[in-house]
Amino acid sequence: MESYQYLLDYLENAPTIIKVVWITICVFFIAVVILTIYLKYLRNRLRKNEKTVAEYQKEYESDLITYLYAGNEEEEISAEQQLIIDKLRSCASDEFKRRIIVSTLLRLRNEISGEMADAIQKLYFQSGLISFALKRLKSKKWYVVAKGIRELTQLRVKEADDKILMFVNHPKKEIRKEVQLYLVTLFHFEGLQFLDVLQTQLSEWDQIQLLEVLQRFDEQEIPDINPWLKSANDSVVVFALKLAKIYNQFEVKDALIDLLAHPQKKIRVDAIHVLSHLQVFEAKTVLKNNFDILSKEEQIEFFKLLENLCETGDEPFLLTQTTHQNFEIKLSALKILKTLSNEKFKDLKDFSTDADYVKIYEFLAYN
Amino acid sequence: MNTSTTEIILFIIHSLFFIYATFAITSYVILAIISAIETKEYMKKNSFVNYKEILSSTISPSISIIAPAYNESLNIIDNVRSLLSSHYVNYDVIIVNDGSKDDSLEKLIKAYDLVKVNFLINQQIPTKPIRAGVFKSTNPAFEKLTVVDKENGGKADALNMGLNISNNQYVACIDVDCLLLENALQKMVKPFLEVTEEKVIATGGVIRIANSCIIKNGKLLDVNLPKKLIEKAQILEYLRAFLLGRMAWSRLNGLLVISGAFGLFDKKIAIEVGGYDTNTVGEDMEIIVRMRRHMEEIKEKYKVAYIPDPLCWTEAPDNYKIFISQRNRWTRGTIETLRKHRKIAFNKKYKSLGMLSYPYWLFFERLAPVIEVIGIVYFAILMALNEVRWDYAIAFIVLAYFFTVLFSIVAIFSEELTYHQYKKKGTGIKLLVITALEPFVLHPFILYAAIRGNIDYYFNKKKKWGEMTRKGMAKA
Repeated sequence: MESYQYLLDYLENAPTIIKVVWITICVFFIAVVILTIYLKYLRNRLRKNEKTVAEYQKEYESDLITYLYAGNEEEEISAEQQLIIDKLRSCASDEFKRRIIVSTLLRLRNEISGEMADAIQKLYFQSGLISFALKRLKSKKWYVVAKGIRELTQLRVKEADDKILMFVNHPKKEIRKEVQLYLVTLFHFEGLQFLDVLQTQLSEWDQIQLLEVLQRFDEQEIPDINPWLKSANDSVVVFALKLAKIYNQFEVKDALIDLLAHPQKKIRVDAIHVLSHLQVFEAKTVLKNNFDILSKEEQIEFFKLLENLCETGDEPFLLTQTTHQNFEIKLSALKILKTLSNEKFKDLKDFSTDADYVKIYEFLAYN
Repeated sequence: MNTSTTEIILFIIHSLFFIYATFAITSYVILAIISAIETKEYMKKNSFVNYKEILSSTISPSISIIAPAYNESLNIIDNVRSLLSSHYVNYDVIIVNDGSKDDSLEKLIKAYDLVKVNFLINQQIPTKPIRAGVFKSTNPAFEKLTVVDKENGGKADALNMGLNISNNQYVACIDVDCLLLENALQKMVKPFLEVTEEKVIATGGVIRIANSCIIKNGKLLDVNLPKKLIEKAQILEYLRAFLLGRMAWSRLNGLLVISGAFGLFDKKIAIEVGGYDTNTVGEDMEIIVRMRRHMEEIKEKYKVAYIPDPLCWTEAPDNYKIFISQRNRWTRGTIETLRKHRKIAFNKKYKSLGMLSYPYWLFFERLAPVIEVIGIVYFAILMALNEVRWDYAIAFIVLAYFFTVLFSIVAIFSEELTYHQYKKKGTGIKLLVITALEPFVLHPFILYAAIRGNIDYYFNKKKKWGEMTRKGMAKA
C-alpha cells in the first residue's frame, strides 16, 4: 500500500513528459492485454468458422444433389424439391449461410453441364438468391457490386444485362472487368459490343481473360473487327489486333496496314506481328521502304515478318542488315539468308569481323 | 566548460535522440496504418480474381525463372522440381550453376536427363564465361528446364547470365532453395498486366519462413512454427517487415527493395539499366534503385508493385552465426546501394524516390543501428558518471519495449486477418510469447550484425558473401 502511494506521489510530482510517458505505457499495456485476449478469440473464431463453413457446405451440397435427382416428369417441382427450395429460401436471408449456398451452387454449376446445370440455375431463381445478387448491384461499395456481377455471370443470368451494362464505364476497373466478363461469358462475341462505348483502358489482364472466355465459343461467328481497329481507344485497338491474330481475320488486312502509321509504337509493333502471322505480303514492301525510320522494336518485329515472307529479292537488303547494331536483327538477317541459300550463306563467313557477327555466323553454320 | 554550457550540450544531445526516436516511431505507425489500408484494399480486389484463365492462356506473357545455384548439391534436385511444378503455362526455368565446386551439375544432368546443347547467347550484360556449357533435357517432361554452367562470379553475375539467356518478357529472379507456390507466377505477373496508367517495372513478393514446414514434391503441405527461438523470432520479424512495412511503401510507390529471394522484373528494363551490379552484396536492392532512377531520368511513369500473398517460402538461418553473417551482408548491401546512388538523396528531380524513400532508408534503416549504438554508449558513459536520470531512463525503456511488443502484435493481427497461415492450436500464444521475447533474443544480434556490417564495409573491403549452410526443408 505504501509503495502504491509512493508511486502515486512520484507520478503526481513528476515532470509532465514523464507523466505522458507513463500514461502512454499504461495505454500500450492495456492495448497489449486486450489484443492478446482478442487474438485468442479471433483465432478460435477463425477455426470455428472454417469448421462451420465445411459443415454447411456438406449439408447444402447434399441438399442440392437431392434437389437435382428429386425431379419427376409429372410435376414441374416435386414435393421434395419444394422442401429444399423452402429451406434454401429461409437460409438465404442469413448472409453467412447465403454465401455458402451460393459458393456451393457455383461449385456444382462448374462441375456439371446440360440439364443438371439448367436445374441449378432454376434453383437459383426459385430460392430467391438472385434477388440478393441484383440487390448487390445497387450497393455503394464497389466490391459488393463486382461480386454481384460475378455471381450473375457464373450463374448465367442473362436477364440482368440492362442493369449491368450501366457499369461499362464505371470508374473502378474491377467492376468494369466483371461487366466485360459478364457480357462475353453470356453473349459471347455479341457481348464485345461494349468495345464500341468503352472509354477507359482495357488492360492486358482483362484482354487475356476475355480471349480465354471467347475461345470456349469458337463455333460462333466473329463480328466485324474493323471498327475496333480504328477505335480512338488504343487498348481497344490492341485487343482487336489480338482478335485478328487468333481468329485469322485476313479480311481486315487493309486496316492492319493502316495501323503501321499509328502514333502508338506498341500498336505499330503489334500490327506488324499480326501482319506477319497472317502473312500479308503488302506489308513487307511498306515496312521495307520505311525500315530506317522504324523504331528498334518495329525493326525486330519486321524481321520476324521477313522470316515468313522472305524471297530472293530481299537478299541485298538482308545483307546490309547483317551489320546492323542490334543482335536480334543481325541474327534474323543471317538466319533468313541461310534459309534462302545455304551456298551463298557459306560465302558470308568473312563478310564482317564484328564479334557478334562471327558468333552468330558460327552458331548458324553448325546448327 | 561551465555547468550551463554542459547542460545546454546535454540538452541538445537528448533532444536529438528524442526527435529521432519520435520520428522513427511516427514513421512506423504511419507505415502500419497505410499498410493496413492497402492490405484491406488488396484483399477486396483479389477476393474474386480468377487466376485460372491466365493460367491456361497461351497468350499470357512469357516468364523465365532464373535461379542461381552455388554448391547446392544437397537440395538442388528437389528445388528444381519445385520450380518446374508451377501451374503457369508460359514459363521456363533457367538454373545458373555459378561455378559450384560440388556435384550439383552432375546431379542435375543425371536427374533431368540433360545434354549439352549449342546455345547462342546475346551477351547484353557482361558475365563470367560459360564453363561446361548450356544443358537441356532430352525428356519432354523437363522441356522447360535450361541449366547453364558458368565460372564462379557471384549471385549477381549468375543472375546476369540468366538475363542474357532468357528469351522471355519477364524474369523471376529467385533463390534456388526457395519454394514457390504453384500460383506464384500468375499472381506476381498480374500487376504488369493490369496497370494501364504507368509501367510496372518490377513486382516483389512476400518471403515466408519455411523452417519446420512440411514439403513434398515441391509443394507446401503443412505450415508449422519452428521450435528454435531464433527461427520463431525471424518469423515475427518478417511478418512485421512485409505486412506492416513494404505494403505501405508499395502504396506510396516508394519500394526500394525487392527481396532477392523472389522478384519479378521487366527484362527489357533490367537489361537497359545493365543488369545486376556484381560489385555489391546488396544486388537485390541496388537493381531496384537503379531501375527506379532510370525511370525517373527518362521521365516515364512507373511503379514497383508488391504482392502480399505468401507465395515464396525459404529457409531462414537457424543459428546466430549464420544469422549474423546474413544481416552483416544486408547492412553492407544497404550502405553500398545508398552510397552508390547518393545523388538521389533529397533531390527533387527524383520526386518521392529522392525526397521520401531514400531519406527514410538513410535515416531509419542505414543509420538506425549506428544511432542506437551511439545511444547505448552515451547511456553507459552517463551511468559511469552516475549522471543517469533513472526516472526518465526507466520510463522511456519501458515505453520502447511496449511499443515494440504492441507493434509486433499488430503484425500478428494483420497476418491472422489476412492469410492466417499459422492455424494450429497453441501457435497464437507462442507467437505472442515471441513478441515479448524478441527484443531480447533477436534485436541485440541484429544490432551487432549491423555494426559488424558497418565495420566490415569501412575496414574490411574484401569481405563478400557469407556462407549459408543448407539443411534442407522438412520433407513429408
